[in-house]
Amino acid sequence: MTSLLPILPALLLGLGAMALLIVGVLAKPEPAGFTTWGAIVLLVAAALVSCAAPDTLLFHGLLKTSLFTRFADALVYTAAVAALLLALDYNRKEGIARFEYPILVLLGVLGMVVMISAADLMTLYIGFELQSLALYIAAALARDSVRSTEAGLKYFVLGALASGLLVYGISLVYGFTGTTSFAALAGLLGANIGYGAVIGLVFVIVGLAFKISAAPFHMWTPDVYEGAPTSVTALFGTAPKAAAMALFLSVMTGPFGHLLAQWQMIIEILAIISMALGALAAIGQTNIKRLMAYSSIGHMGYALMGLAAGTEAGIQATLIYVAIYVVMSFGAFACIIAMRRRGQAVEKISDLAGLAAQRPGFAFAMALFMWAMAGIPPLSGFFGKLYVFSAALNAGLVTLVIIGIITSVISAFYYLRVIKVMYFDAGAPDFDAVPASVNFVMAVGAAVTALFILLPAPLITAASAAAKALMG
Amino acid sequence: MPVSLSHFLVVAGLLLVIGVFGIFMNRKNIIVIMMSIELVLLAANLNFVAFSGALHDMVGQVFTMFVLTVAAAESAIGLAILVIYFRNRGSIEVEDVTMMRG
Amino acid sequence: MYTLIAVLAPLVGSLIAGVARPVIGRHAAIAGSIVFMLVSAGAGILAQLGGVQAPLHIASWISVGSFTPDWTLRQDELSLAMVAMVSLVSMLIHVYSIGYMAHDKTAPRFFAYMSLFTFAMLALVTANNLLQLFFGWEGVGLVSYLLINYWYERPAANAAAIKAFIVNRVGDLAFAVGIALTYFVFGSISFDQIFANVAAQAANGYTLFGTQFPVLEVIAILLFIGAMGKSAQLFLHTWLPDAMEGPTPISALIHAATMVAAGVFMVVRMSPVINAAPVAMEVITVIGGTTAFFAGTVGCVQNDIKRIIAYSTCSQLGYMFLAAGVGAYPVAMFHLINHAFFKALLFLAAGSVIHAMSDEQDIRLMGGLARKLPVTWLMMLFGSLALAGIPPFSGYYSKDAILGAAFLAHTPVALYGWGLGVFTALLTAFYTARVFLLTFHGQCRAPKHVQEHVHESPLVMLVPLLVLGAGALGSGYLLRDNFIGANFAQFWGPSINVAANSPMGALDAVPSWVAMAPLAAGIIGIAIAITFYVLAPALPAALSQQFGGLYRFLLNKWYFDELYDWLLVRPALRLAKFAWRFGDEQVIDGVPNGLATLTTDASTQTVKLQTGSIALYAFIMLIGLLGFLSLFLWVR
Repeated sequence: MTSLLPILPALLLGLGAMALLIVGVLAKPEPAGFTTWGAIVLLVAAALVSCAAPDTLLFHGLLKTSLFTRFADALVYTAAVAALLLALDYNRKEGIARFEYPILVLLGVLGMVVMISAADLMTLYIGFELQSLALYIAAALARDSVRSTEAGLKYFVLGALASGLLVYGISLVYGFTGTTSFAALAGLLGANIGYGAVIGLVFVIVGLAFKISAAPFHMWTPDVYEGAPTSVTALFGTAPKAAAMALFLSVMTGPFGHLLAQWQMIIEILAIISMALGALAAIGQTNIKRLMAYSSIGHMGYALMGLAAGTEAGIQATLIYVAIYVVMSFGAFACIIAMRRRGQAVEKISDLAGLAAQRPGFAFAMALFMWAMAGIPPLSGFFGKLYVFSAALNAGLVTLVIIGIITSVISAFYYLRVIKVMYFDAGAPDFDAVPASVNFVMAVGAAVTALFILLPAPLITAASAAAKALMG
Repeated sequence: MPVSLSHFLVVAGLLLVIGVFGIFMNRKNIIVIMMSIELVLLAANLNFVAFSGALHDMVGQVFTMFVLTVAAAESAIGLAILVIYFRNRGSIEVEDVTMMRG
Repeated sequence: MYTLIAVLAPLVGSLIAGVARPVIGRHAAIAGSIVFMLVSAGAGILAQLGGVQAPLHIASWISVGSFTPDWTLRQDELSLAMVAMVSLVSMLIHVYSIGYMAHDKTAPRFFAYMSLFTFAMLALVTANNLLQLFFGWEGVGLVSYLLINYWYERPAANAAAIKAFIVNRVGDLAFAVGIALTYFVFGSISFDQIFANVAAQAANGYTLFGTQFPVLEVIAILLFIGAMGKSAQLFLHTWLPDAMEGPTPISALIHAATMVAAGVFMVVRMSPVINAAPVAMEVITVIGGTTAFFAGTVGCVQNDIKRIIAYSTCSQLGYMFLAAGVGAYPVAMFHLINHAFFKALLFLAAGSVIHAMSDEQDIRLMGGLARKLPVTWLMMLFGSLALAGIPPFSGYYSKDAILGAAFLAHTPVALYGWGLGVFTALLTAFYTARVFLLTFHGQCRAPKHVQEHVHESPLVMLVPLLVLGAGALGSGYLLRDNFIGANFAQFWGPSINVAANSPMGALDAVPSWVAMAPLAAGIIGIAIAITFYVLAPALPAALSQQFGGLYRFLLNKWYFDELYDWLLVRPALRLAKFAWRFGDEQVIDGVPNGLATLTTDASTQTVKLQTGSIALYAFIMLIGLLGFLSLFLWVR
């Protein structure tokens, strides 16, 4: 049994998804609630099992589990559970409560888990594609809505292009080194670097940058965030970002770790463009989901800063940043999902006007997330920025830090504008009652965001151990 | 003239470029974009097989099998999405897919 | 374990009263707060009885390099004594508030704040490092602000709250700098590590403005400035009298018994560092003695019952610092604990009077209440005698010991403190007797309709009074042996560092005339008050006519508020106006407005790329890819 334990979470997710699919097809009426709760149970079970899994190399070096993968897996599981809880009520009210959605989420998470644990370019590709395919469908979940289907189509076309470039890059790397195993690549690339492999690396970086929506490969993000059903957007904003960032970290520091001098500049540029774009483009937005899209682009820029440092402290900083970002993000999406008026979902920023007077708790939670995203102490977001900035500074990337600070200031503008609308603008009509599941996610997110300063140590030490496991 | 590895690579490179150009030069039809994506994947496959032969290593061919499978799944999903999009919008012109912008 | 319960129970109570109130209703919210306070008080006393234990590590907090403050409860005698006192007094005041706040609509909010305050205060006294202490320090400051502003519709309450907040920030700034410097010098902010390394740092200097200062002196003075803010010592005292805008139980709990004593506690806690800084000790002595005198003089002429008691608090805190300044830390703690009991008693009794008088606070409009409020009268008498330092009440023992210690220290500075202290004892007795006589004796000067409503307070308010009265009567006598008597070194153990040359060991050797001086001063003060307000009621008015200048000087509290207004507030306003007209509107607004326009322009341009067209999106991705490829090949 011991040999099965490391792969047990993935087996649980995969087989569980199949079982739920059978139940979903056979049961009448459509058991959307059942599959959602089933998926949540499976995710929690997988999370618990993955905590107990030992460090090992599986299937002749195709998959690898370590403290690092467990850290990233835990983030993905948490985010997926939060997204499913948010979808529970929203999908029913929007008339898209299909039993397939939780199953798609499970398959997507399976793909993410595989790509996080990948120790070979082949498993990387399979995991990458599995989660992409699941998410393409999820984006087009509201199949009677022209916006949702357009989002799905856009995401599909651009995502397929990105994965095409990725696999082309992999083929070059394979051809010029003769292997696809991470460990072997790390050994080979240290000695001699061929042009072909390096060009392949750029293609791989592009594929990964697309997934974390780092600029200039971010173009799909605002449109897909806006068009997809909000419950799906909440998933897009959290789990795949965490998984793709973890993959980015493990690929850059593992097989291509010796090429730091080559890729460092590219990551820096990605970070700079993402931060700048995230700060600038969000200013004029009136749709809160689009705002969150640009905000997530900016956040990925900050997270990349830690990777650009290329040190263990940098990896730790990125992991801390992503963990904090995931919590802030699903909290903020819980607030967005709670924006319903007379049975209709509303998503304009101006719809939040006067919220503080009618729903002080709701408004305060949203204000907390906005403050935290702007990086205002003592909220959690501040510490994320603190760690990436200090890691980048220690690595001597002063320009990057200066640009990061300037873009933080600019982005504070639009975060604070949301707060201003809630607290100072004349009131719009009251929102509908907020369902308990959404309230729960909102409260958990707000509590973690606000109280992080009291007990940051567990996350920091876990991230530090994960970074150490990755850098070996 | 013997056919060497570099010939394969050049052909694959050309396929890649054609595929990529097909995606953004084409103003008419989304089906054409799907075909272009297939071309990109084909370029990668050709690379894998050529490298596999040149390196006397089976990994490339195994990889090709995976890519083919994934490509099939991808086309199926892409076409499905395209069908529901067409049902809603009544058009698959590339220039019409611009409801969301800004 | 008991300590942990004592610290956390008020937090739970606060959450119940504050967060759960909409669900469970008003009565359950208040009851929850009270129950958890009872638990806390019980645990606090059990912890004290259980004796000293090793610090209890709860969780790690921050871990950045060598900066690793943790959440740890310190359980030495100093902390335990404070925990027992704070939880007990707080519990009594919670119970009292049930009656006092019975007619208030938002009473659960009040209880939530009070419990939260108790939690912060307990976190402060059980802190095991400076950062945790600072957490509690700012926590109590925050709740103090909230509670002064409890009746937030009143402009006076807003102003007082803001004043308290700002004046405290001045002290806190110095305190924060002191903590940072401590970390810089000692490489740690944990008490044990600081104290262990004091000797090693004694000779080190710290260069500031080109001059070399002994580093421990700088740290000690910075920390003391923090304590001055919190404990309302001279120059930073102006917020305390205004803080009386809050409900009376708050004045009793925060602005008399506990929070304002935090400054004294902190100085005692840092005694190993302070002992190594002789100049700082002299500063503490001077400030303490002067504050005691200053506040005493002002207290003599005020007319608001709560303000008079507030000035007496200020004055008594001065005494505590006087004791700390001459190195007699146990005596300072002794007075702190005694003071907590009798000052809480005085405030609560005053609250009972105010409650009976339909919220009237001016003692000129009271009088003759003794017959109508017999229990309150008796309790007020206990409190007054304790404050005036009449045996066998608690204040007598501790005040005597403070003045004896000051005399024994024999330095010029200590003798200065001693002289002022003895004179202040006279002033204290005078104004205490004045309040007492004007309130309870003579003719009632209140309007008719108020007189008709005068009634004794309900039992729920009287019981806490009786308990505190017993404390005011007995705490001095009972605690004397352990706190400052022969056992003191054994009792406090290593929690207080008493220097070998401090007057602590020789307290019994005080000359008898020195020992008698405070009591004699007290009796004279009372006699003067009786003359003024019973025998010859015309005399005070005549005197205030005769010495009009002095009277106005005292009535206006030495013109401190006016001085600060003239020295700081007005120039700041003028500067602000200038900065606004020129700097802000032209330069500062100009630059960011320009920048903002630039930013929004940039924003518009960026968004223009986002046309929604798949072809364009793909094209931009390829541009990115090509850009990176060429960069790669170029860089190599």
